[in-house]
Amino acid sequence: MREVITAPAPGLDFRHHYGHWQSPAIRAGGLIFCSGMLPIDPETGERRHGTLTSEAHVIFGNLKLLLESAGSSLDRLVQVHALIYDSIEYDVLNRVYRQYVANGPPARTVWTAQSEAGFKIQIDALAAA
Amino acid sequence: MTEKLPRSVIQPRNPILNMSRRANLPHVPGIRIGDYIFLSGMGPVDPETGERRHGPIAEQVRITLNNVKHMLESAGSSLDRVVRVHVVLADMADMAEMDRVYREFFPVDPPARTAWSMQLRFGNGCEIECVALAS
Amino acid sequence: MTLQRDVVPPPLPALDAGKNFNQPTSMTVRGGDFLFVAGLTSIDPKTGERVRGTTAGETNQILANLKHMLEAAGSSLDKVVKVNVLLHSMLEAPNMNEIFARYFADSPPARTVCGARLPDGVKVIIDCTALA
Repeated sequence: MREVITAPAPGLDFRHHYGHWQSPAIRAGGLIFCSGMLPIDPETGERRHGTLTSEAHVIFGNLKLLLESAGSSLDRLVQVHALIYDSIEYDVLNRVYRQYVANGPPARTVWTAQSEAGFKIQIDALAAA
Repeated sequence: MTEKLPRSVIQPRNPILNMSRRANLPHVPGIRIGDYIFLSGMGPVDPETGERRHGPIAEQVRITLNNVKHMLESAGSSLDRVVRVHVVLADMADMAEMDRVYREFFPVDPPARTAWSMQLRFGNGCEIECVALAS
Repeated sequence: MTLQRDVVPPPLPALDAGKNFNQPTSMTVRGGDFLFVAGLTSIDPKTGERVRGTTAGETNQILANLKHMLEAAGSSLDKVVKVNVLLHSMLEAPNMNEIFARYFADSPPARTVCGARLPDGVKVIIDCTALA
């Protein structure tokens, strides 16, 4: 059935901090559908703007927390949309992204799109439970 | 109850279409999870030469969808098992031409599609990503 | 075991935007346990024509139509697991979000929102996946 995965750390409750009408993730049918993850401090909920690299580190740290709290992990990622603000950062994206999917990366599509609050990167992830 | 679906990597039979491996990129062409198949976005890579083909959009879409077809068939699926497609065009004005070719690949009961425009890399005119069911 | 795939026809002809706009898309496809809904734009459920307005107005029309489509397919907004929202401008995110709160109750789906170039002057496109 459908199960809400609640925020594993107080800062990751975006609905509480920012009013975003979404759950952190939903588990259903053996899959975990995650909301687009942003570079938000997992304890304080503050925005952590920076370089694409620094923002990506925060995002992947948050995703790791979220997926592990749901009994999954970054190794169980299935599909990712990596949203970057400008395709010129493609190589930068790959350099940081690679560090987090070393044990068997998922399928990926890179979208050049605008994200919340002018963040340079957002990661939309689907994982297996 | 937490089901643990089996997860495996999809590789194309034609290694030229394995852009993940050829370009040493941190992704795989696709993942099968249980009986669902999630493919990475694909573009107009020539399946014989491995070069990106940047001709008219109709040709780019045709090459791309043939590549998607190949990837699905390599995974034991097919175009008629596709349930969702995301089509991204570099130029919104290409929508009608894209539709014309796309229709040839999904003539009956097409998948649920979302199509829009964004900046694309490598000079590609289109990028197509899909979710399918195993056969 | 082979998962079943079928197209779920929309409950009203006006909601079959694929057919009405001559685009090769089904509106809803059932695959295994899930319903995959195509990117929806703001459509008048009586005439099938685009309803243009503010981003909030278009979001409201889309979600009202989505509710109808899901219920006709034996699902519901409560069963939506993931939503993708494409906006013509991220400045409109709060306006879109406010409408979401009216349609999705206390355990809303996962959602990703981004700004992109949208076809035909629409201000918002929403696609989603729901449990069948």
